[in-house]
Amino acid sequence: MLFAQILVNGVLLGGLYGLMALGMALVWGVLNIVNLAHGALIMLGGYAVYFLFTGAGIDPFAALPIAMAGMFCVGYLLQRFLLNLIVRSALLNTLLITFGLDVVLTYLAQLAFSADFRTINPSYAGANFTLGGITVPLARLAAFAVALLLAGLVWLLLNRTRLGRAIRATAQNLVAARLYGVDPRQLYAITFGIGAALAGAAGGLYGVVAQITPYIGTSLTAKSFVIAIIGGLDNPLSVVLGGLVIGIAESAGSLYLGPTFTDVISFGLLVLILVARPARSLRTA
Amino acid sequence: MSAPLLEIAGLSAGYGAVPVLRDIALKVDVGEIVTLVGSNGAGKTTLLRAISRTLGARGRLAFDGRDLAPLSPEAVFALGLVQVPEGRQLFGRMTVEENLLMGAYRRKDAAGVAQSFERVYRLFPVLFERRRQKAGSLSGGEQQMCAVGRALMAAPRLLVVDEMSLGLAPVVVDQLLGVLSDIRGEGVTVLLVEQDVFAAFSIADRGYVMETGRIVREGKVSELAQDPEVRRAYLGVAEGG
Repeated sequence: MLFAQILVNGVLLGGLYGLMALGMALVWGVLNIVNLAHGALIMLGGYAVYFLFTGAGIDPFAALPIAMAGMFCVGYLLQRFLLNLIVRSALLNTLLITFGLDVVLTYLAQLAFSADFRTINPSYAGANFTLGGITVPLARLAAFAVALLLAGLVWLLLNRTRLGRAIRATAQNLVAARLYGVDPRQLYAITFGIGAALAGAAGGLYGVVAQITPYIGTSLTAKSFVIAIIGGLDNPLSVVLGGLVIGIAESAGSLYLGPTFTDVISFGLLVLILVARPARSLRTA
Repeated sequence: MSAPLLEIAGLSAGYGAVPVLRDIALKVDVGEIVTLVGSNGAGKTTLLRAISRTLGARGRLAFDGRDLAPLSPEAVFALGLVQVPEGRQLFGRMTVEENLLMGAYRRKDAAGVAQSFERVYRLFPVLFERRRQKAGSLSGGEQQMCAVGRALMAAPRLLVVDEMSLGLAPVVVDQLLGVLSDIRGEGVTVLLVEQDVFAAFSIADRGYVMETGRIVREGKVSELAQDPEVRRAYLGVAEGG
């Protein structure tokens, strides 16, 4: 029974992890940018939902689309005016500039929001129900459902729309995409905007189930990085699957080994997977 | 005779200070199949890059009477000057159908796109059979068909085909050449850039021979095929190989 409870906890957590990684994997796959500021964007999304909830009294789940729209604009502008300078250039350039962005965003957040811990606390935050002896926290279940929904929407966007086709085509063969009329600069900005919007949604959900500070970005970037590699950069659904793997491993590990081991577990798992099946994981990376 | 569809005169281009093309003159009339042949390094691909405006050039470069010099590559494409790039450049992890759709990315007329689909599938029935398959999983010949099909989806007025025969079995090359002849009958003009002079001469009306950045011979392919220099330099090599 304990194991079943851990499994449920892990799956619920893993769905959110998957959503965190989704934006990073999308940007990485299409723009070839490993966005080290991805966690900072998650953090900004968390604050956006927090202030929409505490300031304007908007339910956090209703605030998500608003935060996503705002983060899309932030992402679009960042790409258009900053990151387009280094898109598809050497990996080190992209790491440097996004690392710098991460530092700046974190510092600005600390100035603006202070370093206090904050939690998005709607009335149903503590609510849960029991099913066959397993406790399911309502907010976590809802966050999981939203994460799956968004991953499904991203899949539909990529595979069933003209824009998604152009995004995938650009990721696979930039020369040919340009030859047939795709404007990569515009497309990159939209893609980064979508990545930032997904980060924003992940941040809002994170704020409902955990605590936000300006410093959560770094560890969330690391986690997203691991999941993006495990899940691959091609398919949103496999990224969510990667999130579930990490979620379950962490929730089992924190029980049996202790909660301080969660990062050891996710990175240990990454090393194991790269050793065991390097070709599959890095095929698109 | 109306004005030529593609007209190039006195064109020079190069990379940095290194001139590659010198004083090129070439024209393609509506409804023609014109071939540009020459050995590796003669400057054929450089000329194509100048035509598609991905490389700057001096001299006259006009499409349908319109000066291409001030236009971006996207604008040249929008005029109907469409390339089948060397090496096919397919979207390998997308299906055949999605690759074809990318050819029509800029088109807004749904009915016209549906017509183009029908035409491509009629010209290449194997693409219809494999439309749900990933383009990267096709054979070399099928991939080249997909690349030609994708270009046709853009509703080209001038189809520029770069090194279509590269690495393909002769029977597949013949089939592709047959398709180029067919589409000429449907109002598409073709500029065929080839190293395989035999193949190119088999369907073209006129030909240009390029050597070290210059056009050294031009004329009807029937006459070029009789030219002693051309026979020695190109057809001789082709016969030996």
